[in-house]
Amino acid sequence: MPNAIALKVLIVDDQNSVRQMTRMTLEEIGIRHIHEAENGQQAMETAAVQPLDLIISDFNMPEMDGLGLLRAVRGHPVARKVPFILLTGRGDRELVVKAAQAGVNNYLIKPFTAAILRQKIEQVMGKLS
Amino acid sequence: MASLEQLKLTFFDECSELLQQTETGLTDIKNGQNTDEAVNAVFRAVHSVKGGAGIFGFEALVEFAHVFETVLDAVRRGSLTASPDVIDVLLAASDVLSDLVQMSRSGEAIVPGFGSECRTALEHLMARDKAGDAASQAESAAPADFEGIEFTPVRADQFDGTPANADGIRTYQITFRPKPELLKKANEPLYIVRELRKLGELDMVAATDELPALAELEFDRPYIGWTGTLRTTAAREQVDEVFEFVVGDCELGIEELADTNSATLVEVPQSPPLAIEESPAVTAAAEKPVGSSAPGGTANTALSAANPGQAPAAKPAATTTRIELEKIDRVVNMVGELVISQAMLGQIVNDLPEGTSNRLARIVEEVVHHTRELKDSVMSMRAQPVGSVFQRMPRLVRELATKTSKKVRLEMSGETTEVDRSIIERLGDPLTHIIRNAVDHGIEAPADRLTAGKNEEGAIRLAAEHRGGRIIIEISDDGAGINSERVLKKAQEKGLVGADAVLSDDEINNLIMLPGFSTAEKISDISGRGVGMDVVRSNIQDIGGRISLKSERGRGMTIQLALPLTLAVMDGMVIKVAQETYVVAMSAIVECLRPARSDINSLIGTRGMLKLRGDLVPLVSLGDLLDLNSTANESDDCVVIITEAGDGKRFGLVLDELCGHQQVVIKSIEESYGSVPGIAAATILGNGRVAFILDVEKLSDLAASASPNVAIAAKKAFAAKVAIN
Repeated sequence: MPNAIALKVLIVDDQNSVRQMTRMTLEEIGIRHIHEAENGQQAMETAAVQPLDLIISDFNMPEMDGLGLLRAVRGHPVARKVPFILLTGRGDRELVVKAAQAGVNNYLIKPFTAAILRQKIEQVMGKLS
Repeated sequence: MASLEQLKLTFFDECSELLQQTETGLTDIKNGQNTDEAVNAVFRAVHSVKGGAGIFGFEALVEFAHVFETVLDAVRRGSLTASPDVIDVLLAASDVLSDLVQMSRSGEAIVPGFGSECRTALEHLMARDKAGDAASQAESAAPADFEGIEFTPVRADQFDGTPANADGIRTYQITFRPKPELLKKANEPLYIVRELRKLGELDMVAATDELPALAELEFDRPYIGWTGTLRTTAAREQVDEVFEFVVGDCELGIEELADTNSATLVEVPQSPPLAIEESPAVTAAAEKPVGSSAPGGTANTALSAANPGQAPAAKPAATTTRIELEKIDRVVNMVGELVISQAMLGQIVNDLPEGTSNRLARIVEEVVHHTRELKDSVMSMRAQPVGSVFQRMPRLVRELATKTSKKVRLEMSGETTEVDRSIIERLGDPLTHIIRNAVDHGIEAPADRLTAGKNEEGAIRLAAEHRGGRIIIEISDDGAGINSERVLKKAQEKGLVGADAVLSDDEINNLIMLPGFSTAEKISDISGRGVGMDVVRSNIQDIGGRISLKSERGRGMTIQLALPLTLAVMDGMVIKVAQETYVVAMSAIVECLRPARSDINSLIGTRGMLKLRGDLVPLVSLGDLLDLNSTANESDDCVVIITEAGDGKRFGLVLDELCGHQQVVIKSIEESYGSVPGIAAATILGNGRVAFILDVEKLSDLAASASPNVAIAAKKAFAAKVAIN
């Protein structure tokens, strides 16, 4: 049973306002160690050097989208096993299928509440204490 | 930690940029740059607006954005062609979205059915979408979760990080380097390689770096290792099995790679790294031993090779940050004070006896230099690209063209030209009016244009550039130009020019900037009602700029605005009236002269006349106007500054002395002293004394009006100045 307060999470989203909202929602769940990245490049730089317990990434980003980031993470010697949750918009079924093939752990539809976020995280990490 | 309200503000700021990207992208596509990237960019922008709107609870915005996004998705998938009429609907949608964002931002209640016309048009487009029917039906419902997808969340503790790709083929990076023990245990490296090959496609290279010279070869030592890739449907366990018996007797590395790139270990992103300084950290980390992976071999070198390879090509992206404008204005103010203090310091040093302190003089010179640089830097912080005003124009032109049933194209250039915020804020209205005129009166109806042998579509060009310390903005169109006969007739009817006056074409064209002038046959609700070019002109003059126009009948018209770069600091001419020092804006001065006594007629009271190259120019005596004991009126040695009144007519100011020109920091006195007619602002000169900056254009009016009032106002101002000093 992982302790929420000990979890280290990376949020990836090119929209600052959305990133901050996601941060606030994570904090509502009790998560405190939160890294942020604006794009896939920054995310990979963080993932390569920081120990991470979870990556939550938006799909819709320029240059490298969430799926591309997922594949990069899964191919990276240091970060490959980090659990990955992909944020998608309504109606993105195809994306979820592709993401599953690429090794995603879970997905989350925007907008989401703290309760749903918690549920999705627990589906991957186990019940949070 | 940011509050929800602050985040909403951040979101709306993001929306401005996203909406701009949308409009620009759609316009590019319409102009033929119909690239995948352009369409994707527009889709992403609208998708981002929708996403943020959903998070912050702006439902109306979400609903419209969703429909908009669906059509954009069809375009980017290729199932809907981006023909001009489709793009027009999308541009209209971008306008509606913009309005919805604005209303959400200001908290206005959104009328239900707002944008419904556009929404219907979008829905018609969706019906056209060939492949989309099933998909759009599924999407129009708003599921909280996906039904019918067999997705099971993958638990982290059961996850080995190896995804199967679509066709089940995995790629492993394998490094195999036998140690002597392997041979001693009668294991044969070659057999192991053959076993691997049975699993799938093997692509190995032998590493022969340890191979000694033939004479030194020992027959029972392995010198060769192999490294390469294996493409197979086999699971990791099967690959491990091959090495089951030798795993302790060799250096072994087996890594599963992402399916896209079997050659490199990391899917290196194409974008240049933002912080090149961080690459060493990344490679350093990669160097650390990671589990059982290849010992300092291919994995890490691939990673470290990738980054330096990209670094030379990359430029660090410009980083920006958000600062409250108040903070910048405070800094600008402080720097202004510094400029003044430094000028005073310079003056004191100048007044010291020769040779008192060369060192002091040198240091002060440095201070002057640094202060100037600081001032320039700080002023550039307030500088904004004119693009922020320009970007409203495309939509304006679109809407006007539709309203007047004309075809008009707007071309813009020089949007990155920077100008002080204070100018930007005052530029919007005049520019809007000029462009309105161009569409409404300038560009002809499509049929008329064809008859005239022109393209059906009219063009308006909006350009900005820095020239000679000013910013020049040109608005030109290829329309009908000014109808000089009509203008002259109207001007004569209104008594603005004499019936027998002979005017050049240029002079006639400039008549349209006189107050109360409008030749529109019917007052179109677009630009005819009372806001004439004269208001535009006075707006421009208020910010210290000049406006001029040129027209060619049948070919078009060009209006040129010449604006100062900033309102906070100005080039001023220091003048003396009696013993008092004032400052006049250099931009207001047309000419300075010392006229011969004989050229001045009848200087009675405040007014008089000057003979100048065959014209008679009215004179205003500043000494009398300001109720000062000026001897200029009588003396042979007065100075006259020719300037322009509010109505454009020239007049001359009579004063005692010109003291030189300098940059002055403009200090508003309205807060402390209210508005004094004729006095624009104040400044502190190098000698530490306060000097008023005269509002030259109003002085002529003041002189004409009841003099006692002016004198009283001037006396009050004078007394105020004494109080300051």
